[in-house]
Amino acid sequence: MVTNSVEQFRMGAWARGAVVFSVLVLTSSAHALGQWVTYPTPNVPRLANGQPDLKAPAPRQPDGKPDFIGFWQPDRVRDCTPDLASRVRLTQPCKSGEKVTVPNGPASVPGGLPLQPWAAELAKQRTADLSKDDPHNRCQPDNYPRVYWLPHFTKMFHVPGELLMLNEWNAQFRQIYTDGRPFPEFMHPIYSGYSIGKWEGDTFVITTKGFRESEWLDTAGNPITDAATMTERITRPTFGTLNLAITIDDPKAYTKPFTIDMNMKIMLDTQMIEEFCLENEKDSVRLFAPGAGK
Amino acid sequence: MTTRLTVAVASLALLLAGTAPVMAHHSFAAEYDANKPIKLSGTVTKIEWTNPHCYFYIDVKNAETGKIDNWALELGNPNALLRNGWTPNSVKIGEEVTVEGTRAKDGTFLGNARSMVLASTGQRLFAGSSQTTNP
Repeated sequence: MVTNSVEQFRMGAWARGAVVFSVLVLTSSAHALGQWVTYPTPNVPRLANGQPDLKAPAPRQPDGKPDFIGFWQPDRVRDCTPDLASRVRLTQPCKSGEKVTVPNGPASVPGGLPLQPWAAELAKQRTADLSKDDPHNRCQPDNYPRVYWLPHFTKMFHVPGELLMLNEWNAQFRQIYTDGRPFPEFMHPIYSGYSIGKWEGDTFVITTKGFRESEWLDTAGNPITDAATMTERITRPTFGTLNLAITIDDPKAYTKPFTIDMNMKIMLDTQMIEEFCLENEKDSVRLFAPGAGK
Repeated sequence: MTTRLTVAVASLALLLAGTAPVMAHHSFAAEYDANKPIKLSGTVTKIEWTNPHCYFYIDVKNAETGKIDNWALELGNPNALLRNGWTPNSVKIGEEVTVEGTRAKDGTFLGNARSMVLASTGQRLFAGSSQTTNP
């Protein structure tokens, strides 16, 4: 397991951010209700006091399957349940009924990632460099499954024959086909991979292959390779939450499969707006300057 | 008063439940030094309302040299700022502001802003920057 100082800093910074944010909300009347980016979400279940009922049952599609339509962001705050520690690495013990903040993405795998020696060495070097070579820094496309634990918005739609995922970052899309097609004979490597989905009861199961030769699995620099097969099991336990159990079987980089168990939270009263990174990117030049990252 | 407080609390709950996104597209520790906190007061000279980060430039009088330094301050992206209550008119060129954040490792007049307080109203705006990123 490699967790660099970036991730550690971000974990600690969240609480400070929440305090500052609260001050903003309590002192500001400038919330941009007139903007599409803050436009109210329709059809939200409400509590008696008018607040969104995030624990309400998940909506369903006309065919009775759970409906994943919504705007989603990773959520590190989990309900402490008796089985949580078996699915997520906890940095502190929690009591049933409490909320607990868990590590982000691959850093949450219990016992750490089963890296092959070369992959461990690579991740160690990237961490020592403070991730300055991260392709995300240079506005490169994000690769799945990393998209899920970056702090950018994903919008999901059910359309005939597929589940469609859109991401604000560089206006990226991902198609998960449900029309019964097989994997292509030749899979030209792509950032999202090639995905086929099917329902098992109320769980949507996605199998993905055809990744690029070597990409970053997370900001810490753990790799994912073209040998990977990814299996996602997605459920919507409540209106406000998606749960994803993402199993990665990548024998080139890892000694055995592992599963990242994560939640995404619904983002209400906002809409998708493009976010093209190359518009005014200034950081990469500084990051690659002599001595940078030291 | 009670009504105003109720509205404020309700707004807070709504926003915390729905819209608290912040963005960072680069490693904070590679570019900024967490051990170099900065607090700068000065006049806004230029605003870049752009992806992947907004930049505010402010003229700050250097207490040591007596000169005016033009600082570049990196914030979150436009979507993050809009979702956290900003508009492009929240801060205007010529306005006096105080910014808290972290200085760049390279020692230039570059900082990563955490918050900005408007001198005219005392309003504090959350910068939506990588210092407050979740995750």
